[in-house]
Amino acid sequence: MPDDVGEGQRGGLRGLLQTVKEIMYGMASHDMTRYAIRTRASMEHLFILITMGDLLGVPILPPYYSLRLLPYVVPQISTWKRRMLREKDLTDALS
Amino acid sequence: MNTLLAVIIGAATVYLGYTFYARRIDRNVLQPDARRATPARLYMDGVDFIPTSRNVLYGYHFKSIAAAGPIVGAITAAALWGWFPALLWLMFGVFFIGWASDYSAIMVSVRNDGNSLSAIAHQLIAPRTRRILLLFIFFYLLLVAGAFVNLIAQVLAQPHVPLGIIMLAVMGALAGQMLYRWRLDLIAVTLITVGVTLAAILLGGTVGGPVEGFFKGFNAGLNTLTAGQPVTTVLDPTLPADRQNVPLMPSFMFWLFGTFVFCYLGAALPIWRFAQPVNYIGFWITALTIFFGGLGAAIAFVIRPDLASFKLPAYVDFLGPESVRAAGAFQPLWPMLFVTIACGAISGWHALFGSVGTARQIENETDVLPVGGGAMFSEFTLGLLSLMAVAIAIPGPAVARFAEGVGSFLSVFGLPAEYGRAIAFAAFVVIVITVVQLVFRVMRVTLAEGLGDRMPAFRNIHVGIIISIALAFLLVVTGVWIYLWQLFGASNQLMASLSLLIVTVWLIATRRNPLYAGIPMLFMYITTNAAALVTAYNLWNTVFLRNLGVPGRELAVVGSGLMIFVALLLVGAAVLIGIDGYRAVQRYRAAPGPQPAPAPTS
Repeated sequence: MPDDVGEGQRGGLRGLLQTVKEIMYGMASHDMTRYAIRTRASMEHLFILITMGDLLGVPILPPYYSLRLLPYVVPQISTWKRRMLREKDLTDALS
Repeated sequence: MNTLLAVIIGAATVYLGYTFYARRIDRNVLQPDARRATPARLYMDGVDFIPTSRNVLYGYHFKSIAAAGPIVGAITAAALWGWFPALLWLMFGVFFIGWASDYSAIMVSVRNDGNSLSAIAHQLIAPRTRRILLLFIFFYLLLVAGAFVNLIAQVLAQPHVPLGIIMLAVMGALAGQMLYRWRLDLIAVTLITVGVTLAAILLGGTVGGPVEGFFKGFNAGLNTLTAGQPVTTVLDPTLPADRQNVPLMPSFMFWLFGTFVFCYLGAALPIWRFAQPVNYIGFWITALTIFFGGLGAAIAFVIRPDLASFKLPAYVDFLGPESVRAAGAFQPLWPMLFVTIACGAISGWHALFGSVGTARQIENETDVLPVGGGAMFSEFTLGLLSLMAVAIAIPGPAVARFAEGVGSFLSVFGLPAEYGRAIAFAAFVVIVITVVQLVFRVMRVTLAEGLGDRMPAFRNIHVGIIISIALAFLLVVTGVWIYLWQLFGASNQLMASLSLLIVTVWLIATRRNPLYAGIPMLFMYITTNAAALVTAYNLWNTVFLRNLGVPGRELAVVGSGLMIFVALLLVGAAVLIGIDGYRAVQRYRAAPGPQPAPAPTS
């Protein structure tokens, strides 16, 4: 991939600074970013569950608006299904 | 011995361990393949499974595993047995066991669809292993909370520390508001909140200053509420005979409850509102302290040789210092050293976190060693820095020695010693308190998940937090902090040995050489079970029996009884998992190996 090639060629002081920057970001802000992403995803997935729950076997009557929303939800369905159906336990709360 | 030599020994351990042992195991046993799709790439959902740069992930993993463990463990062990045994265990622990545990847990999770260790144990060993592990986690968290809260309250009761921590809480709440509600720039928010918190730490640390005077007067005022009498007295048999009755003054109880209020806010409020911004500000304070402290330690020998030589005895005694022996407490170097220093050498928490937090973001299998192994070697250097700090300081309580030592390292850069000491004290409390607030958060989730179905009251977050705090309070008022710390260490190390057991079973099941994980697993399993039993014996002999029937000591009896119960429960759980693990090993050994592919037919 072009990006990989670029990263591989980047060296010297610039590469070192980039590495330090990434490590600092990882230490300081990565968990905040992840939490924000996770919060947004949880809200979206809850909304999809309410409107399209029948796709997972949750017995809701598909309303008219589910059909209207379906085209927008389609790109997320596989990700949503995987996340909803994945087995979870307490240790998942640690991450 | 001096700091320069210790830095060289540390650097050699990291270089040799990583280059000649870890890389060899990585290349020959686990055989990572950059072309094999990791769970992050296979199941990418942009949320939990998300391919992340190895540098970012290294920083994330290191920050997640590095807490108070390597600091407190090293300074406590150095005081009990001397700095030399502590240094040896840190070096050999991380070299042969620590990195292997972290790295293997992440790699096993990566090879098992990003499943957590408990889920893998369910599949590989037995269904009940998972349930036992979850029980383990709850009591582990309880012990962490008890040990850490006790430490924080002791430090906060000193008049030069509270202002910085109070300001941390205020700035944390403000940072949450500025970042998530007012949408201000992150750099501006960082400069304001970290700057104000640091200024408060320095202001509070001014010897003879108005802030110190105010908190001295405040503490004295609190103590007059009971006419100078303690709220209760606890027996600490690990102290010299004339100081074993430790009075818990109203000022100590005030800061203890203050710590609980801080943790309550961290556990009950939305995470963006308090816990996360507090951690963010705390990160900068601790990172700056550790970075400059480490740099100071490395160059102190050249600039200030008087600061660089070790003043702590290299070796005390196999059974610990005279005061501990005279009190009847049993503190043999084996097994107790190996649980007193937990996180700097090996830790079960790392494996647990690595399997759910880090493994799901690994972009390439070849990143696992620099991320998992690299972060563990880095944590070892944090333990080494703590050991150096406590070894160069004048005699005194362990945390005060640590602050004195780090303050000395910072003074190499021209910072007055009193300010360096204030920053070190504050950094210590920040590291501990940011962990504890999250511990209570996870405990309330654990209670809700574990008991919520049968007892709906546990689903209420306030009920869960209050019960967790009440249990931690009981542990704190037993009065014997060292036993509490060692029991926490035993649970942490037992969890590490169980994660190594899961790794060993997986290696056998996949027909790989299991020795690099199996031998450390056996050592840690035997050592930590023995340590938990020794701690239970110490509690029974020197706390429970001595307090039983003494008026006013009911809390100590209940608290030590609870700790003995937890110790025996952990050992029982570990034995059950051990039996299941042994059966699983037998099962996989008896199973036929992978069949060769059928010969091609023409």
